Amino acid sequence: MSSLRPGSSRAAVRRLEQRVADLEADVAEMRRHNVRLAEIVDVVQELLVPMASRDDEAVQKAIARFQESL
Amino acid sequence: MTVARPVWVRSADDNGFSVVTVTDRPVDVRIDGRRVWTFWTHRDTVPAAFPLDRGPWPIRTAPWPAPLRRHLDGRARISVVDSATGATYFDRDVALGGGEGEIRVRNKKGVDLGIDKSGRLVPTFAGRSDRDISALLDATESVLAALRSAGVEPFVAYGTLLGAVREGKVLGHDSDADLGYVSRYSNPVDVARESFEVQRRLARDGWEISRYSGASFKIYVTEADVRRGLDVFGGFLDAGRLYLMGEIGTPFEREWIHPLGTAELEGRAVPVPARPEKLLEATYGPGWRTPDPAFKFTTPERTIRAFDDWFRGVQPGLRHWDRKAAQASARSAVKKPSLLAKRAAKLARRLDAEILDVGAGSGTDSLWLARQGHTVTAYDFAVRGLAPAREHAAREDLPLDVRYLNLADRRSVLSEGARLASRPRPRVVLARHVVDATSGLGRESLARLCSMALRDGGQLLAEFYTGTDARLPDWVLGTVDTDAFATLLRGAGAAQVDVQELERKGRPIVRVVGEWS
Repeated sequence: MSSLRPGSSRAAVRRLEQRVADLEADVAEMRRHNVRLAEIVDVVQELLVPMASRDDEAVQKAIARFQESL
Repeated sequence: MTVARPVWVRSADDNGFSVVTVTDRPVDVRIDGRRVWTFWTHRDTVPAAFPLDRGPWPIRTAPWPAPLRRHLDGRARISVVDSATGATYFDRDVALGGGEGEIRVRNKKGVDLGIDKSGRLVPTFAGRSDRDISALLDATESVLAALRSAGVEPFVAYGTLLGAVREGKVLGHDSDADLGYVSRYSNPVDVARESFEVQRRLARDGWEISRYSGASFKIYVTEADVRRGLDVFGGFLDAGRLYLMGEIGTPFEREWIHPLGTAELEGRAVPVPARPEKLLEATYGPGWRTPDPAFKFTTPERTIRAFDDWFRGVQPGLRHWDRKAAQASARSAVKKPSLLAKRAAKLARRLDAEILDVGAGSGTDSLWLARQGHTVTAYDFAVRGLAPAREHAAREDLPLDVRYLNLADRRSVLSEGARLASRPRPRVVLARHVVDATSGLGRESLARLCSMALRDGGQLLAEFYTGTDARLPDWVLGTVDTDAFATLLRGAGAAQVDVQELERKGRPIVRVVGEWS
């Protein structure tokens, strides 16, 4: 951290603080995709095959079964 | 040399205890021998005055916890005992409140209550019989077996692990049983998917479950006369760190968890991590061997941030709405309908539409609408609150359906949307104080639900608070950006969006009407 040598200015510290805050926000932004992706994969995995069958009864059953597990 | 007595308790009255303390120590407060509360003599007290006859330490007051106060009317033997050493610092007959009768800290069913580590007044094991404890252990064993058959390797965790390893017993001050497992996966996506799959298998076997994050849920079990939720915390190891949902994010070795070992809990063998002391140290610090019922978790910021971002936020405000739901009664379902419900009734009649009441609460509007002859579906994530409305409707043979919907869980929204899309018909979506009670994700989900439910035309009627007025109810989450919400609706296919600024009981509200054609 060359910008934090003894005698470095307050402005340099402030810049680093801002950078840490930005990095935290960036990490949070990426981490929030995890549960989103998991939920969508779960829906696709459980409902895609019955829906592709185009059998309405099977589709309704699959949805009902899926919803019972929420 | 005499060892200085570390704590003097001078008196107990309606305000609490007057304490003089040399060091900060946990003490148990017992009423007629039963522990009802534990506090730290320094951390949980406030300075009141300097006693000239007792040396340089101030008198401190330990105020009674609010949930305990309403039970404190009558006489009882009150004692204050050191949690670690068992030394008695106070033991007298005390009259509190009116001073008539006996003080009892019990619920309506006669179960003894105590303040738990989160400050709630809950049934605790201290006042419970062997039969109660054995019923809980039966329940724990069957949940452990169910989790194993669902494909994970569960162990007892947190307070339950501490009780088993340190004392071989359920901790008296504890109020529940905690279970955990460490996933075979090492990233949050797969850990959440696995948790969903585990829940699915358990639901198939008839267990009642309530999810509170992407990696943890509660399993409800009725043992003896008490319905309890056993917490199941998912965890994973990645790059030399263990994350166990709830509290733990720490450097850890896989061999400290697997293969699981066993410990004795009330004479029964329960699964524990291979090196339980490592997990206990990560949870309670190196002093875990010394009893401290008032111990409060101080989870590092880094861990909290990680869990919040990875797994949490799947049920914003649920604690509040669950409490409200528990209070729902036959009477609360039959109050006057809202103005928005009246408008929905007119509109539904004109469009020959069915009505979806999203965030129906206690179902007042839903029941009223059903009584006007409309076909109504009442949705809520605290679905228990709709039970009285459902009972009214069943008795009166009304077309009212009650369904679970969680706007902050895409699985819930997408599957319900798919169900509605497969049965197209004109609909009116009523969303009264939903937009302001949910997260940004919840608002996106409401728009998505409309796009799926209103393919045959219909309208969304939404009302919500805006602004940052201090008088807004405490369930309001953040400030809604009305323009952004209107843009969301257009993106979800609304042909027209009208925004009206109104006032209700002196507070500004916004009404948004979205039209799908």
